[in-house]
Amino acid sequence: MMHFKFITVIARQEWASIFRSKIPLALFSVLLVVSLLATFTGWQYVSKFNHQQRAAHQQVHDQWMSQPNRHPHRVAHYGYLVFREKSALSFFDFGLDSYVGNSVFLEAHRQNTVNMSEAGFSNGMLRFGELSMAMVLQLLVPLFIIFIGFQTVASLKQNGVLKILLCQRASYLDILIGKTAGLTAVGWTLFLPLLLLSLITGNLLTGQVAAETLLRIVMLTILYALYFLIIVILVVAVSAVSKSSKNALMSLVLIWMLFFIVIPKSAQTLGSSLHQAPDKIAFEQTIEQDVSKQGDSHNPDDPYFANLKANTLKKYGVDSISKLPVNYGALVMQEGENISSDIFNRHFDHLISIYRSQNAVCSILAFADPYLAIRNISMNLSGTDFESFTAFQKQTEKYRFEKTKKLNEIHLTQIKYQNDNQQKVSAKNWQQQPDFAFQPLPVAENLSAGSFSLAALVLWVLAGFGVLAYVSSKREYQL
Amino acid sequence: MKINHKVLLLEIKNFLLGKTVLTGVVSLLVFGFYSFYHGKQLIGRQQQTMASVPGVQKQHLQQILAHGTGKMVGTTAYYPFFYTTNPASPWAKFSIGQRDVNPFTLKVKMLAIEGQLYDSELTNPLTLLVGNLDASFVFIFLFPLLIIAFTYNVVSEEQENGVWKIVQATSNGIGAAIAGKLMVRLAVILVTTLLVFTAAVVALQLPASLPTLKLLIVVVLYVMFWFTVSVLIIALGKSSSFNATALVCIWIFLAILFPGVANIAINNSIPVPEAAETAIRQREGYHAKWDEPKKPTMEKFYAVYPQYRTYPIPEDSYSPGWYYAMQFSGDLESANSSEKLFEKVMQRQTLSERIASFNPVIAAQQSLNKVANTDLTSHIRYLQSVKAHHRQIREYFYPFIFVDTPTESIDWAGYPAYQPKQYVNEPVFAGMIAILVWVVGSLLFSLIFFKRNFIKIIDTQNA
Repeated sequence: MMHFKFITVIARQEWASIFRSKIPLALFSVLLVVSLLATFTGWQYVSKFNHQQRAAHQQVHDQWMSQPNRHPHRVAHYGYLVFREKSALSFFDFGLDSYVGNSVFLEAHRQNTVNMSEAGFSNGMLRFGELSMAMVLQLLVPLFIIFIGFQTVASLKQNGVLKILLCQRASYLDILIGKTAGLTAVGWTLFLPLLLLSLITGNLLTGQVAAETLLRIVMLTILYALYFLIIVILVVAVSAVSKSSKNALMSLVLIWMLFFIVIPKSAQTLGSSLHQAPDKIAFEQTIEQDVSKQGDSHNPDDPYFANLKANTLKKYGVDSISKLPVNYGALVMQEGENISSDIFNRHFDHLISIYRSQNAVCSILAFADPYLAIRNISMNLSGTDFESFTAFQKQTEKYRFEKTKKLNEIHLTQIKYQNDNQQKVSAKNWQQQPDFAFQPLPVAENLSAGSFSLAALVLWVLAGFGVLAYVSSKREYQL
Repeated sequence: MKINHKVLLLEIKNFLLGKTVLTGVVSLLVFGFYSFYHGKQLIGRQQQTMASVPGVQKQHLQQILAHGTGKMVGTTAYYPFFYTTNPASPWAKFSIGQRDVNPFTLKVKMLAIEGQLYDSELTNPLTLLVGNLDASFVFIFLFPLLIIAFTYNVVSEEQENGVWKIVQATSNGIGAAIAGKLMVRLAVILVTTLLVFTAAVVALQLPASLPTLKLLIVVVLYVMFWFTVSVLIIALGKSSSFNATALVCIWIFLAILFPGVANIAINNSIPVPEAAETAIRQREGYHAKWDEPKKPTMEKFYAVYPQYRTYPIPEDSYSPGWYYAMQFSGDLESANSSEKLFEKVMQRQTLSERIASFNPVIAAQQSLNKVANTDLTSHIRYLQSVKAHHRQIREYFYPFIFVDTPTESIDWAGYPAYQPKQYVNEPVFAGMIAILVWVVGSLLFSLIFFKRNFIKIIDTQNA
């Protein structure tokens, strides 16, 4: 049975002893400066970046609206440029933002890649890791907890205090829980208000905080709280099984290296060699092959398009293309667009599913490495994860298809088949088309993308207390 | 300084038989072998893809030709893609650098080039974010940890368990005792370095030439740097826990925090808004021409290619010569921002090299990428070779476009072959010197600290 009074005493004592010493405060001030710097520069960079993207978007939109009367197919090739903006919480957790493209050119017939990523213009400094508040909280705060907590139980063994404590009514579990509570209180008090405050301030400075963003902030705070708790349990457990403080420190630093450097890197490279994704040339080749299998609009004898022609003539009851009330060229073009877009989407979804299985290795390993769990869920909630970028790609492709389809409709009905390319239509036709606006993934979807990470975090907490109970039951760890 | 051979032998035995050495060396070797596998696989796949390019190109041109039969070259020339590749240097497997981020094949049409240069490769962004576990990662990130594990308790361990007093009493020179202990560790570290490096040379089939030697020199200097930093911390004469904490903090600062801050500094001081601007300008520059009189467009084209002035361009109807002149002027109008973009990217490179002289970790990584030709500069060279090829292609087809020529009567594969960029043996002296300065500096300071913290005490005791 547990003695709550005793636990509280131990926790209070732990709290007091940490704040009595100068080193924790010195380390904390370093972390404070680093995280404030990270938040500020991150926020500044994101708002500057979004400002730039918005200006570019405005320019492209103005150019689109001020086009003179043109042939609709010219407009389809003139196309549209979409600029990706960073999410409201991306200044907190950069996630994949620097490694994904920032602009995409949308035109008829072609699905272009999203280009101009920041990593593409970086000389490799980026590859050491980016300094963001999330990075401080995920990587450095655990190290801070290790440094302030490694001797927490081990030193009691070394100086014999543990035996005295155990002679009183307290059980070993009480002591371990008390230590955990004390350390967790320190971690939460030092970092959670900082996290909450920077996230809210950062969003207030950009405008008002949307209710959904607030929900994300609250969830992030809770999840980071859980993460710190897991680290504290780990530190207390290792400290409890170690013979001396020094051994505890060594083991903990080793675990840190393993969790933060070795496992994440090995996991991802393993994932990508287990599930090989096609590269661009192979990807495009298979699409091209599938498209020409289905129907080749360039080939006059192609059975698919011959069939289309026969059906169209029959539908309108005429015997030649030139007598059709609609522009047959536009009809063929839209049919080609339907085919290629359909095939592209199928292959793209397959590609994404390969990437997902590559990333799944990391998600599953979150059960072995809590850092992977918090890294993934933090990206999910900040809207800088794989799924958010995939949503951007899919939405731009959908927009491209719709836009081209509408232009083909104008072509179909307003341009005559004879002397097709000599004609123009009023610019009004495309001025009414809706502009592209990215619809970020709703929280629910972010959470479902991060369900493994969430489960891993909860399991880690439960398992952590289980381990504490186990450690406390073993006599060898009390000596 | 005389080193007692018996003591030295004992120290060698003690150290080598300890758990740390075996675990450390074995785990490094395991990671080393995994990194060789990873580097070989990643670059191997790239090479494989590039090897498929000639076949793809041939088939593609045949298709275009089949579709184009009966039409004029001016119409057909719109369709073909011309492939280019950026072959990996033999050292890229050792240090993958930016090769996974940047595209290693690009295909270009005869249309305006600027919109085609920045197409990205299809990659999983999470894989890019996590980065590669290549041989350079093992040396740059993992070796320092091995060195820290070997050295953090050199003297403090003995002090902590009371053996040091005996050493002080029995040894004829405390300096020699410490030096002996350090030499044993340095020897093991250097042997491990050479072992892993030789394994890399064999596994990755690195040629026995100057660049390989350069890699070796950088790696050895870098390992020496971490050894001397560890010695410096030991020289402070603090506890094992302090040493370990301090060294891990230094490692985190140099390998994570410092580059993170430097990256922000570089991005802020040299932003590249030209990336978006180039795309917008090129598109507008070309498309606006459709609605403008043809003469000014043609004049811009003739300024560069006066030989085509003699061919008539009708003012009131479409002609292929005019079409390609429009595409060309799209490039002319974005040339300014495109040049600026390249310029800024080079400025970023220069700035980061300057920053690297304050941080041996960055200096070493940059030097390795440079030798491997896997850095941003190398990619820019590739882009320039693509631009040159694009020009060759245009100039090959222009005559057939301006003089109406049937598609089937020209050789579509007869254009000048693409010239891949050559391996550039870039000097990495600056990087080496930067690391060396740090090695010498920390050695000097450790000597001073040793004198103050260890030797002096002995003197007073002996006095």
